[in-house]
Amino acid sequence: MTENTVFVVDDDRAVLDSLGMLLRSMKIGCQLFASAQDFLDAYQADWQGCIVLDIRMPGMSGMELHRHLVEQHATMPVIFVTGHGDVPMAVEAMHNGAFDFIQKPYRDQDLLDRINQALAWDEEHRSQEDRKRELLERSQSLTPREREVMECVVRGLANKVIAMDLDLSQRTVEIHRARVMEKMHARSLAELVRMSMVLQEPA
Amino acid sequence: METRYSHEAVDPADPGPRIDTEFSAAEFDALLNAAVDGIIVADRQGRIVRMNAAAERMFGYQAAEIAGQNIDIIMNARDGRHHDRYMDNYMRTGERKIIGIGREVVARHRNGREFPVDLSIGEAKVGSEKRFVGLIRDLTEQKRAEEQALQQREQMNHASRLTTMGEMAAAMAHELNQPLSAISNYTAACQRLLNQEGNGQEERLDVNRALEQIGVQAHRAAEIIQRIRAFARSRETAREPVDLRELIAQILPLARMDARAHHTDLRMRLEKDLPLVMADPIQIQQVILNLVRNGIDAMGAIPDDQRRLDLRAWLEDAQHVRVTVTDRGPGVPEDAEDDLFTPFFTTKASGMGLGLAISRSIATAHGGTLSHFNNPVVGATFYLVLPTKIESEEETGHD
Repeated sequence: MTENTVFVVDDDRAVLDSLGMLLRSMKIGCQLFASAQDFLDAYQADWQGCIVLDIRMPGMSGMELHRHLVEQHATMPVIFVTGHGDVPMAVEAMHNGAFDFIQKPYRDQDLLDRINQALAWDEEHRSQEDRKRELLERSQSLTPREREVMECVVRGLANKVIAMDLDLSQRTVEIHRARVMEKMHARSLAELVRMSMVLQEPA
Repeated sequence: METRYSHEAVDPADPGPRIDTEFSAAEFDALLNAAVDGIIVADRQGRIVRMNAAAERMFGYQAAEIAGQNIDIIMNARDGRHHDRYMDNYMRTGERKIIGIGREVVARHRNGREFPVDLSIGEAKVGSEKRFVGLIRDLTEQKRAEEQALQQREQMNHASRLTTMGEMAAAMAHELNQPLSAISNYTAACQRLLNQEGNGQEERLDVNRALEQIGVQAHRAAEIIQRIRAFARSRETAREPVDLRELIAQILPLARMDARAHHTDLRMRLEKDLPLVMADPIQIQQVILNLVRNGIDAMGAIPDDQRRLDLRAWLEDAQHVRVTVTDRGPGVPEDAEDDLFTPFFTTKASGMGLGLAISRSIATAHGGTLSHFNNPVVGATFYLVLPTKIESEEETGHD
């Protein structure tokens, strides 16, 4: 599954079916699950999109499913659908990292707005993740010496200083530096600094 | 093994410590004053001869100053009036009304406060003279605890009824949300499918199916409401011929307690020989109690000595019995008149707004009415009119 999909989990068949039809009428791809367990059994780490999750279900509740997903470091945004008087639960879900919640009965447009926001967030987040993965691959192609030179360069040290620090000739430093820029696909020092910042971000 | 010493201690001729059958005066005083209960000794004319420390505390008199006074000084006015007669009667006939039995009477403190006591009386002969010994236990605390327990129990009953209704409302809202959400989703889908350019056969099928589902879900919502109604009906118990006087008598302790707790003078006038009404006694009791409570609540802001609630019942005509509850509060404000019987409408800070709404639906279900008017001078009157048994039976027969 490569394109963005809305995964709907609701134990009420009518709610599930009607939501599916609404999303299809918007040309939004969706997959429907009648229970949290069904979803968890089918779940793949590379799924993209967002999850619309009923908070109150028999068996495994929406809250429990969300906890399982958080444990698995799943990053797909989750929109909780709550019923009458479930707001405290929804707030707790937000604290646990849910993307948003919406209270039944909702206006279809409100739900669709949230779904679109969640899909955009997922895409953005995913592209950042992709970019980070790519930068990591590039930096891994650097030799130990090149990595040392890069660390000095992004700290803003001049070639002359780097040469002295690493006990190299200034000419050698220049060659390493050019190789770093080339391997990292960096077109300027500023870009290289940004890349190193992304690489230092926690996962 | 030498065990002689133990034999030495026992002298078979010595009977050991004796039980005294006579008290010394000092022992007697100590005994009297150590007693937790009040003890009063009176002579045959009913004059106080002796009083222990507990009785001094209980009544606020010193034994010395009260000695020689008639015992009725520590009785409430009503009991006091009859006391001399009781004593005379006993002296003449030996007929015992209280001696050796013990009973609850109302006593009076020096400051005029009246309080319940348990009184038991014994008699003794001192020389040729007859004396009466009264043991008095103050029941104030016990009574208060009993009343509190009763009030708490009642409050809990009341609260649990309301909670049940609240829970039912929440469950109902949750249940109904499902089909309503589905209907809303299907409707939105239909609108989008119909308004999109270039949609063909497949979309038309979708619209058809969605419309069909809307019907199904609307039906489902109606069924949920049916279930709730059936549930509400199942809580009704069977009607039976009931005597309103008896029915009111049963709730009177509760009503009186409530009135007393709010310093309200509750007066009652129930016509004798009221015909029976066909009713669910519990429900009608709830309605009347609710009206009494409302009346008491309505007088919360007026001075204690003006709080008076009148509960009356009479035969209005051959077919109707009328129960009225009249308070002396500020009356029903004009802007609240219309909404008074609407569910969840309340003028009270901590009310649910269900009492009158439920009461009216109960009255209506009994073929009766529940309504109110503001009194000409002060306060409001709420009245419940119920058909008598005869009319209920003839309902189908005559025009």
